[in-house]
Amino acid sequence: MRALLVAVALVAAGCTNNPYPDADAGEKVLYAAFSEPPKTLDPQVSYTTVDHAITGPVYDKLFEYHYLERPYRLIPGLALEIPEPQNLDGGRVGYRFRLRRDVWFHEDPCFTEAGQPGPSREVAAADVAFALMRIADPDVNSPVVPSFARVVGFEKFGERLAERRKADPEFAAKRIDQQYAAVGPIEGVRLPSSHELELILTEPYPQILYWFAMEFTAPVPWEAVAHYDGKDGRDLFAEHPVGTGPFRLTRYDKRSRIVLERNDRWYGVQHPEWRAPAAVYPSEGEPGDAARGYLDPSYTGRPLPFLERIEMRLDKEDIPAFTKFLQGYYDASGIIEESFDRVVKEGRLSDDMEKLGMRLDRAVVPSIYYLGFNMTDGVVGTPAGEKGRKLRQAMSLAIDSKEYMRIFQNGRGVPAQSPVPPGLFGYDEHYVNPFRQVNLERASALLREAGYPGGVDPQTGRALHLTFDTGDTSARGRLRYQFFVDAWRRLGLDVEIAATTYNQFQEKVRKGSYQLFMWGWVADYPDPENFLFLLWGPMARSAGGPNTANFADPDYDAKFVAMRDRPNDAERARLIRELVDIVQRDRPWIELFYPESFTLTHGWVRNSKPLGMSFSTLKYRDLDPDTRDRLRREWNEPVTWPAWLIAAAAIAVCAPGVATVLRARR
Amino acid sequence: MLAYLVRRTLFGAATVLGVLLFLFVLFFLVTAPEDIARKSIGEKAQPEAIAQWLTNHGYDKPLFWNAEHPADTLLVDHFRRMLTFDFGVSDADGVPITRRLRDGVWPSLSLTVPLFLIGVPLGLWLALVVAFFRDTYIDRMGVVLCVLAMSISLLLYIIGGQYLIGKMLRWFPISGFDPRPSVVFRFLALPLMVGLAAGIGEHVRFYRTVFVEETGRDHVRTARAKGAGEGRVMVFHVLRNAMIPILTQVVLEIPFLFTGSLLLESFFGIPGLGSITVDAIQGNDFATLRTMVYIGALLFITGQVLTDVSYTLVDPRVRLG
Repeated sequence: MRALLVAVALVAAGCTNNPYPDADAGEKVLYAAFSEPPKTLDPQVSYTTVDHAITGPVYDKLFEYHYLERPYRLIPGLALEIPEPQNLDGGRVGYRFRLRRDVWFHEDPCFTEAGQPGPSREVAAADVAFALMRIADPDVNSPVVPSFARVVGFEKFGERLAERRKADPEFAAKRIDQQYAAVGPIEGVRLPSSHELELILTEPYPQILYWFAMEFTAPVPWEAVAHYDGKDGRDLFAEHPVGTGPFRLTRYDKRSRIVLERNDRWYGVQHPEWRAPAAVYPSEGEPGDAARGYLDPSYTGRPLPFLERIEMRLDKEDIPAFTKFLQGYYDASGIIEESFDRVVKEGRLSDDMEKLGMRLDRAVVPSIYYLGFNMTDGVVGTPAGEKGRKLRQAMSLAIDSKEYMRIFQNGRGVPAQSPVPPGLFGYDEHYVNPFRQVNLERASALLREAGYPGGVDPQTGRALHLTFDTGDTSARGRLRYQFFVDAWRRLGLDVEIAATTYNQFQEKVRKGSYQLFMWGWVADYPDPENFLFLLWGPMARSAGGPNTANFADPDYDAKFVAMRDRPNDAERARLIRELVDIVQRDRPWIELFYPESFTLTHGWVRNSKPLGMSFSTLKYRDLDPDTRDRLRREWNEPVTWPAWLIAAAAIAVCAPGVATVLRARR
Repeated sequence: MLAYLVRRTLFGAATVLGVLLFLFVLFFLVTAPEDIARKSIGEKAQPEAIAQWLTNHGYDKPLFWNAEHPADTLLVDHFRRMLTFDFGVSDADGVPITRRLRDGVWPSLSLTVPLFLIGVPLGLWLALVVAFFRDTYIDRMGVVLCVLAMSISLLLYIIGGQYLIGKMLRWFPISGFDPRPSVVFRFLALPLMVGLAAGIGEHVRFYRTVFVEETGRDHVRTARAKGAGEGRVMVFHVLRNAMIPILTQVVLEIPFLFTGSLLLESFFGIPGLGSITVDAIQGNDFATLRTMVYIGALLFITGQVLTDVSYTLVDPRVRLG
């Protein structure tokens, strides 16, 4: 009987939908959901938003993006300043990075294991050089090797390493730093002093600086890479990050729970007197930031970070995750399609949500979705000359981006006019692309001029037949592509959707046997070069590059190179405009939209401005745990009467029968 | 008995080899490893990075025949790895699969074992009650309810349970998992309730049929004639003799307690072996997937042998030979 009572008491005590231990209430802990387990936390490899959500706060970079200002601006992180390029002999360009002193790695047993005197050590320029060598190392399999190809001797280093490993198994078994030391250094990476790193490029490439704002180049201790090799029960380095950031990873059950805790050794905490740009809350932002509460005087100029801990939970299904957010158990959330109309009304938060004290943050993501033509195709591409161009222009005039976004995106996005998205240098909000306005009359006239009156191909006497190639065979994908097919049908064109497996599609793209496709691109860094290079001739897909349209125009190529190598000045803006004009006229792309992220945050969360790119802003975030605790309890009072009702009903139904049978049997 | 076990094990081994061959055809001939590579290192990956990945993961070896090193082919590798239980690393994130299995087995067991330990006795008890009240409205209503419960898809139970109990009544968290003792019960309660509700109909129906058939037998009539009480008759004479068909079903379930429940784990976010399988399917993680299929086959064969053996234990009339 006592056991039964204990069991009942336990059940009653456990009868709460709070997914966190009661002891956590009142702590400055941010709760967030992640929808899939991170693939890798190796900073030289991780390349997805999910990975960056963890590696971002753990690994400090040499540079960062200003939290509030737009267009995006680099500020010094671990570096003391943003270096200026120096022109060297033979067209080479050099950058000298000066690193902060007295910056320490997270405390970790790997340091004492490797013979260091303490559980951590100071960061040196050699750790950045080590990170660069890791990118070049074929065994690391970094996805960004080509981006560093302009560093003198970069690829050579990787080749030497691979050769030595193949030829000499003994060498391959050596500790990683010893291997690098034996084969290295990379010719274009020099260490003039313990805290200075000189980078030498074969040619100008101003965008290289952006790569130093990404985790790929974050300093990494060789001790951690050597120790965490996955052998004899040790973790893998990809699961055990050791960085210098404001938070350190203290729990990594990537299939259920990830915990980050404030790093008290962080340079911003140790040295608030430095007032390092990336270690204090900014006091300047873009217009409108003050009105939205992002420049609250109680925060501006204060040392970061504000949170004690970040608890992340795996929630693969978005409906339960969103419900938990509405119950107050997650502090922020995206908006699921099923609930979009309930949450957002005409681009603003609905009254119901506003009553709960929520806020909606919107940010246009520096990315673009577009339809592309294969410019090597005989009908839609360059070989068709003026005829092909007019066909492309006509097809561009038939596509209504707004309608597409309304149907498939809940209206989340901005209709795209050019390849350059908002927030980037060279984006012109007043620019209107005449071929990106729906105008069926003009489209029909252009088709007539192209020799396809009413969409009819005079050679066959039937509607011009084109194929839309895709590697997406899902029903949802089909609906999306059908939208375009229907739009072109209004011009009399007969476009067939050729949906194959992703591999078959890739094969078609490799061989160049495709006509129309849909593609998207998310910026690696906020520079127009990262979008306009998608149409640069040498990047053609036929040569293995990401220019899937195979667009090749000598004028464009020359202007692109001139634009790429210039700083952000009036001349660069003019060149961007000329490049956009070429794309407007030639129409290798039909620009669809720049997606927009909608983030909901509870009223108790402060400083939630989204960056729009996959860089962590957790160190700026703050929250009021007492308000959260009070509202959570208010919103989640369990409803117990149905349990009693069900029990009573069960007894009422069964009792007469039981009584009757017992009586009869007696 | 021993001869039977040996023969049975040999049959099992042959089946395992067949399964392995089938897996090889499915995972190495039907699908291209490039696909796995792209999924693993991202859409933006350059062809060189993909080629490097294939080399690092050993997918660039010849399929069947290597003139220089005859043992260095994908086919030999596949059989060697599976038969020696050296499953290698996951294609998705490079984590050793053995470690993943070890991490996943406890969350799976923490759901399936209570589900089994509560579900089977509860089913038996309800079936006994229904059989006890046979031909009354309780029996008829029980049958209708059982058929109704069996007809509803597990997905509906899950979504309905999450909506009703997690969202409307707020008794338990709607999903998630945390192995810490202070909170683990909260997370298991709802999937347990859902799992029990979804499975109980089938169990009760099946056991009831067995019991009702048994209650018509001569030995039961004899027991009654000797004046045994109805409760005693049900438990000692009916239940004990109805064990063979019940064991067939129950023992077969035991090995699968380890593999977890695909749907329950996936929807409730329990990081067990069931959701590992689902993740592997979604993430093109073939190394993990073929391991899970292989283990599933091994467990199934083990379950069948165990069932056969258990017959001899409950029914002295059965002899294996």
